[in-house]
Amino acid sequence: MCGLLRGSGKVMIMKLNKKDIILERKNKTVYKTDDAIIKVFAEGHPKTGVFNEALITAYVESYGVKAAKVLWVEEIDGKWAIATEFIPGKTLEQCMKDEPERMEEWLNKLVDIQLEVNGFKADGLRNTIDKRAEEIKALTDLDPSTLYELQQRLHGMKRHTKLCHGDFVPSNIILTEDGDYRVVDWSHATQGNAGADAALTYMSMSLTDPALAEKYLKLYSRKSNTAIQYVQKWLPIVAAGQLKKAKTEEETALLEKWISVAEYQ
Amino acid sequence: METEKKFEIVDSVEALEARMAEMRKAQAVFATYSQEQVDKIFKAAATAADKARIPLAKMAVEETGMGLVEDKVIKNHYAAEYIYNAYRDTKTCGVIEEDPVYGIKKIAEPIGLIAAVIPTTNPTSTAIFKCLICLKTRNAIIISPHPRAKNSTIAAAKLVLDAAVKAGAPEGIISWIDVPSLELTQTVMKDSDCILATGGPGMVRAAYSSGKPALGVGAGNTPVIIDSSADIKMAVNSIIHSKTFDNGMICASEQSVTVLNDIYDEVKAEFAYRGCYFLAPEEIEKVRKTIIINGALNAKIVGQSAYKIAALAGVEVPETAKVLIGEVTSVDISEEFAHEKLSPVLAMYRADSFEEALDKAEQLVRDGGYGHTASLYINTDEKEKMAAHADRMKTCRILVNTPSSQGGIGDLYNFKLLPSLTLGCGSYGGNSVSHNVGVLDLINIKTVAERRENMLWFRTPEKVYFKKGCMPVALDELGTIMHKKRAFIVTDSFLYKNGNTKPIEDKLDSMGIVHTCFADVQPDPTLKNALAGTAQMRAFEPDVIIALGGGSAMDAAKIMWVLYENPDADFSDMAMDFMDIRKRIYKYPEMGRKAYFVAIPTSSGTGSEVTPFAIITDSDAGIKYPLADYELLPDMAIVDTDNMMTQPKGLTSASGIDVMTHAIEAYVSIMASDFTDGTALKATKLVFDNLPTAYADGTNVAARDHMANASCLAGMAFANAFLGINHSLAHKLGAFHHIAHGVANALVLLYVIRYNAKEVPTKMGTFPQYQYPHALRRYCEIAEYNGIKGKDDNETLDLFIEKLRDLKHAIGIKDSIREYGVDEKYFFDTLDEMCEQAFNDQCTGANPRYPLISELKKIYTLAYYGEDDKKVDF
Repeated sequence: MCGLLRGSGKVMIMKLNKKDIILERKNKTVYKTDDAIIKVFAEGHPKTGVFNEALITAYVESYGVKAAKVLWVEEIDGKWAIATEFIPGKTLEQCMKDEPERMEEWLNKLVDIQLEVNGFKADGLRNTIDKRAEEIKALTDLDPSTLYELQQRLHGMKRHTKLCHGDFVPSNIILTEDGDYRVVDWSHATQGNAGADAALTYMSMSLTDPALAEKYLKLYSRKSNTAIQYVQKWLPIVAAGQLKKAKTEEETALLEKWISVAEYQ
Repeated sequence: METEKKFEIVDSVEALEARMAEMRKAQAVFATYSQEQVDKIFKAAATAADKARIPLAKMAVEETGMGLVEDKVIKNHYAAEYIYNAYRDTKTCGVIEEDPVYGIKKIAEPIGLIAAVIPTTNPTSTAIFKCLICLKTRNAIIISPHPRAKNSTIAAAKLVLDAAVKAGAPEGIISWIDVPSLELTQTVMKDSDCILATGGPGMVRAAYSSGKPALGVGAGNTPVIIDSSADIKMAVNSIIHSKTFDNGMICASEQSVTVLNDIYDEVKAEFAYRGCYFLAPEEIEKVRKTIIINGALNAKIVGQSAYKIAALAGVEVPETAKVLIGEVTSVDISEEFAHEKLSPVLAMYRADSFEEALDKAEQLVRDGGYGHTASLYINTDEKEKMAAHADRMKTCRILVNTPSSQGGIGDLYNFKLLPSLTLGCGSYGGNSVSHNVGVLDLINIKTVAERRENMLWFRTPEKVYFKKGCMPVALDELGTIMHKKRAFIVTDSFLYKNGNTKPIEDKLDSMGIVHTCFADVQPDPTLKNALAGTAQMRAFEPDVIIALGGGSAMDAAKIMWVLYENPDADFSDMAMDFMDIRKRIYKYPEMGRKAYFVAIPTSSGTGSEVTPFAIITDSDAGIKYPLADYELLPDMAIVDTDNMMTQPKGLTSASGIDVMTHAIEAYVSIMASDFTDGTALKATKLVFDNLPTAYADGTNVAARDHMANASCLAGMAFANAFLGINHSLAHKLGAFHHIAHGVANALVLLYVIRYNAKEVPTKMGTFPQYQYPHALRRYCEIAEYNGIKGKDDNETLDLFIEKLRDLKHAIGIKDSIREYGVDEKYFFDTLDEMCEQAFNDQCTGANPRYPLISELKKIYTLAYYGEDDKKVDF
């Protein structure tokens, strides 16, 4: 596969080799070059989606966040591709795997970076509430009563303007060699409630390591000086959004349990 | 076609909007109904709901799978019967209150289209309740049911609607969403006129954010305290009775019980004896994880039986178990049992002291039940504890010895608590109301207020003695009748040296009244001056104060009197301007407890012997305090011409024209009355007839006598009708340019008359009695009383002004401010400041014309140069 690639204002021809593939999914293939990560979407992937991802990332860069920068968007052989800068280093997820004895340190890092990200004001990005509302509305299989309760719960949330990554998990944090970090994959970023962002992190962790998730939640609550309930009240909502993506029956059961809650009266 | 239209399904925004438009038309018709028609409909609707209470209860339980049929029957019964009974005689249409004496009438009007959100926990009873209160108030109601309970909610609403229509209500006055969704609920809220939102915090927030007025309620987390003094059997069984009611789904239901240590075991035994199940520690942990998921209430346990909830948690309990009780210690939100559970699950805490129990209850309310309900079991002789509890609970219902489910909704265990299924949580819960919502919340009350006039008054000293030579006779009373022992005389050094106090002292001596004298009152007395007198007064401790002199001595004596009687009196408070002396913020201290006050004028005059006014200057701070309150009214005034024969010419002239100004201003004041008019008119005539003579020949007793009376009469007039801008302007002219007060009055008098007499003033004074600008007529009445009559009012006014000008000339008063040596540059440099201060003078308020500052400036300017008064063309 080859195409016209623009990097640093220069037009160049670049060949994407199979050997450079680092990830292959049904809807995308990810290549790594010397200085870029190139995500090539499957044919038919909406153009708006690609440009939107680039735009979101560009916004995030403009706030001054330590993010992997977007380099360009290009159509290559009828497929849309987006390139972001390659960050040399090790993901936090890898660190957790390699050095589990330092788990407390990694968890602290995770929370610290998240709070730093949440500290930015994300003017220009879509609001979390609107994004979640759309997700919930699409859950046509859910019984109407539960759906109604979820929508009502979401509608009662306050509209904040903090930068929320939307998938703030250890695999999206790269610790660089100089001791700094970069956060990658901003495609789900919104402006909104930091509690919602933490709820997403907690949920993702709960699906793989519930004990670690609990530790994370307590640490987040302490470091952000907010009550655990502040995060918890988002769980039915983020769980509903995750329902369609559940990989196992256990996951589905857990998410359904989380969703099936009543409002206090 | 009609029928088809009626049953059109509301399942989209378009259908809903169409339905709401129809409802508005129906409501417009309903709004014209009489109280009689409405009461008939209200009765028919309540009756129908009452009769259907069992099928509706069955339907609700069947549909929602929550609660108990038998208890829902009670709720339906209550919603129909109790609500009907509470409001059967309440006026909700047209004139609901009238007081012809005060001219006030209250008219009830419907609000319009009410949006009602109905919860799953009470799907039929709340629907009945909201429909009935809307019918009673001539409102239309559109119901947004919960998807889980829509059939039963709609059935209840339809039943009430059918009965109402049969009794004459417009078709479609009650309606509902057939296929509920958040979008439609939001539309209902947004497009209605008012929202009755029952539900949790999310619903309430949504209601408030819709931009429409909302009567929302919030979540409860009712904490109970059982005090050591409580009747344990009654307490425990009340709690069980309430907690099991409809499987604990009433929002006011008990969620925790805190028991004092000394009765804990006994309370526990009673709970167990009456069928409650105490969870073992490992069972508590299982139930915890079942009732709450991630801090939220598990939907599956709401309104279920204790047995079923235990089964869900994997805990075996007898099928008959009434309530699952977890003995826990933490009241923190991280403790699942500390939450609202909407089921027969109860937390039980132990407290070493009542204080600790309060701490726990306070925390529980804070975490989940702000504004809702708190409950206390106690011997009601424990007033202090009850007060402490009421003080600490931030809840809008505080129930004592009462099952809270049944107690909170009112009229069951207390008959003054309004029956309602919508319980306001106040600002604590983010609500607009803190009471149990009822029909009065669903009407607009229009208040029709007719114009009424103020009560007026005529206040004078209790004794006013007059006639040449009357002073010793009048003073006799101090000894013979009042038995006074110690007299304190206040005067100035001139009068003292002149021997004017001698007759008083002699008289006091003859009666054996001990006396002393402060003879150092200075002209325009200062606070320092008055304080010196007060110190002397405090040391002497008189039971009577005798003020002898002109305005300065009498004013200074009044100030000393205030400070003597009330050592802590604050001048800046007392000097605060008022709009209406009866409504002033500062309440004057009561006077006369220590000393009786006698005022004896030696000039004619300020009239201070009969007025409630005193002016004192704080020369250090540069502040002039004009004090005015009837507490400052002397108790006795003695007007004896013998004291006035020594007035020098200048004083006769200045104070004489001051009398005239008092009389004229009181007569045209917006507060003038028949009572003040009489004294004011007589005073003007006495001044016109006698002032020139008294001025020319100070020894003329008759002229002096008449002037003495004129001064006192004018004093009475302005003591009650007050003054006007003539005095406002004169006060500042005196303060800024040291012109004698009477002369200052005379210098602006003719211009002020011209200004006030305008038939089309820029603004008129505000007072109900002052109906239209009529100062011209009032000036003419004074003129006519004095024998001046032109061919019309305008000419009469011209002639009146000429007569006043002649009077001024006759007593040696010049025509312009300039002629009194006021530097032109300095005058105009200070003019703006002077105008603003004159505008702000206490006297301005009673003037018939409300002045603009710019107009005052023009008056001052004309007066400075002594211009023709006809130049007042504004």
